[in-house]
Amino acid sequence: MIEAVNLTKRYGDIVALDDVTFGVEKGETFGLLGPNGAGKTTAIGLLCGLLTPDGGTVSLAGKTDPTVTEVRLSLGVVPQTLAIYEELSAEQNLRFFGGIYGLSGSELKERVTRCLEIAGLGERRKERVSKYSGGMKRRLNMVCGLLHEPTILLLDEPTVGVDPQSRNLIFDTIEDMKSQGRTIIYTTHYMEEAQRLCDRVAILDHGKILDMDTVGNLIAKHGGPSHVEAEFEDGTCDSDRVKACVDGEHIQLDKSRIRFETSRPMESLAELNRSGLRLSTLKVETANLEDVFLNLTGRRLRD
Amino acid sequence: MRSALLLAIKDVRVILSDKGNIFWVFGFPVVFALFFGAIFSGFGREPSGMRVAVVDEDGSEFSSLYVSRLEAHESLKTERLERKDAMDRVRKGNVAAAVIIKPGFGGGFGAVFGGSDPKLEIASDPARQMEGGYLQGILAKAQFEVLSERFSDRDWMRGQIGSWRNEVEAAGGLGDTQASLFLNFFDSLDTLLRDANDENFQPGFDGDILNFAKTDVQRQREGPATPFQITFPQAMIWAVLGCTATFGISIVKERTNGTFQRLRVGPLGRAHILGGKGLACAATCAFVICIQWIAARIIFKMPIDNSLLLVLAGACTILCFAGFMMFVSTLGRTEQSVGGAGWAMLMIMAMIGGGMMPLFVMPPWLRSVSHISPVKWGIYAIEGAIWRHFTFAEIAGPCAILLAIGTVFFSLGVILLRRQDN
Ligand SMILES: Nc1ncnc2c1ncn2[C@@H]1O[C@H](COP(=O)(O)OP(=O)(O)O)[C@@H](O)[C@H]1O
Ligand SMILES: [Mg+2]
Repeated sequence: MIEAVNLTKRYGDIVALDDVTFGVEKGETFGLLGPNGAGKTTAIGLLCGLLTPDGGTVSLAGKTDPTVTEVRLSLGVVPQTLAIYEELSAEQNLRFFGGIYGLSGSELKERVTRCLEIAGLGERRKERVSKYSGGMKRRLNMVCGLLHEPTILLLDEPTVGVDPQSRNLIFDTIEDMKSQGRTIIYTTHYMEEAQRLCDRVAILDHGKILDMDTVGNLIAKHGGPSHVEAEFEDGTCDSDRVKACVDGEHIQLDKSRIRFETSRPMESLAELNRSGLRLSTLKVETANLEDVFLNLTGRRLRD
Repeated sequence: MRSALLLAIKDVRVILSDKGNIFWVFGFPVVFALFFGAIFSGFGREPSGMRVAVVDEDGSEFSSLYVSRLEAHESLKTERLERKDAMDRVRKGNVAAAVIIKPGFGGGFGAVFGGSDPKLEIASDPARQMEGGYLQGILAKAQFEVLSERFSDRDWMRGQIGSWRNEVEAAGGLGDTQASLFLNFFDSLDTLLRDANDENFQPGFDGDILNFAKTDVQRQREGPATPFQITFPQAMIWAVLGCTATFGISIVKERTNGTFQRLRVGPLGRAHILGGKGLACAATCAFVICIQWIAARIIFKMPIDNSLLLVLAGACTILCFAGFMMFVSTLGRTEQSVGGAGWAMLMIMAMIGGGMMPLFVMPPWLRSVSHISPVKWGIYAIEGAIWRHFTFAEIAGPCAILLAIGTVFFSLGVILLRRQDN
């Protein structure tokens, strides 16, 4: 559905996107995860034809030119910047953008009402956007891109700087879109979001894709071991018995407590359970995309 | 077309929601027209009058007729004085000007048309050039009115004809055939005047000669009839400039806040989106100009020579600046920089183009510099329709220039915008 082949974009000396290749299947949700300045917005701009690449090609729904009307009509973009008219009300914004996509009459009215509902702005539909909170603006910014029911959705950091409530509303909407079989590209620098929403994730840094796979595979490949910490019930334990059950490294055992690192935490815990040792507390820290990023770049995602 | 209209309506909504924009587009031009219109006409609708000292050194019947005509003039406050006192007053600024009627003024037709030795002198402070200009208009008008009255006086006419005949005879410069042509003409005119009785002279002859005189009067009296004819074209230009800046800024605003990009990923092309912007700008300009037009007609009773040409002049001016707006929007990357650079550019164009100082009081060097300013062509075309008595052919020139400027800057703007986007 979406193909990017050897995409390169430069701004003067800065290489914003460096020979990036990826493909997204129909109905798939694909994440671009990377810190600020990684090149996510540039990638979205190239995909939707706002920017012209210095090298490489883009194809959307089989068309190599994203500016043809046919592609335009099936493409929904939710930009990172709040691309809405602050001077107008939410309803006026939606009606305007809907009109631009050729919607009119009862169809437009219906979709505007539904979008206002999705965004949770029904009650304040007639209020000027400049009076909205940041989260409300974000929600409106999102539904303005969904109004024409596009089959391809490009979302550029749609949750930046919003309150938890708005974030959940946005997640629900995206999951809804997912379930309707739309093809989605989602960029973010929050690893939890990529982990929760995306079928596959590309780790982007300094304009390069470092790796690209399902979340599970990425963690398995680059995440490193999980950290397990447990306490035994009786206050006593047989260290040899315990060690025999655990398949891991850096095992620390003192009296009733054990800590170890493992890439297969569940197996070890099941083994412990089977051998009759009772646990009173348990803490498992599995690796996440943050660890993947740390291991791939030596830096953390945020900062 | 529907989407262009949608874009335009949206723009007008957005623009009108900002009080600052309303001021620049609606308020400022009107304040401008009223303020300067009032200053030029001496504050208030019934002008209290420009103070003028009149020195009648001629003392003829014609000159006293002339002076009483000036005294009756509603926008003058005259005082009869001796030359010395009159000059004194001018120097002290007590009067705007002194009008000195020199001996020989009443001597006839030739004296009125001045020639090498003008019989009418205006002494005024060069700093009060504006008033001087208006005074000149009033004086010329009074002169022709007195003259045209004179044309209907049969005996006076015959006396005039006699003296012209003598002048032609005395003048050496004319060839024989030319001279006899004139003399024959004067003789037959005199015969006609002598034989005509007063009754048939009045409707027949009087009409004809007066018509002749009237066309002359019109051609001579090319100045504006009221100061509002000067300030309303300026106000219209200011409204257009206000729109140009406001919409130019709104383009960069849409570019910085991303709505322009959102529109561009939609089904409309870039030219289409910018065209919508141009349409909104033009429509707003047209709306403001119409309001000004109505106000000028109804409240200020401003005469408009040719409404059709005014529509044409207004439309060309609007198109010119709607195109220019596109260029203005590329002058910076933020609202502030475009606003600053845009207004600076428009101010300079207004300054040299007659948007502040009327074209006709400009020193000649500035008037020739003004050719490079589209403001000048806009004002010139609008004035042409309001009081310069332009024909279609005459107004076509400035209109063509306006359209050309508009097209060039629109294209330049679109090209620069495309370049900035990548
Ligand atoms: N218009 C531009 N001019 C110059 N440099 C730019 C421009 N847009 C982005 N960049 C640079 O390109 C790189 C990638 O930016 P961007 O795609 O916005 O990253 P992200 O969206 O991942 O934060 C950054 O180093 C940024 O400074
Ligand atoms: Mg970004």
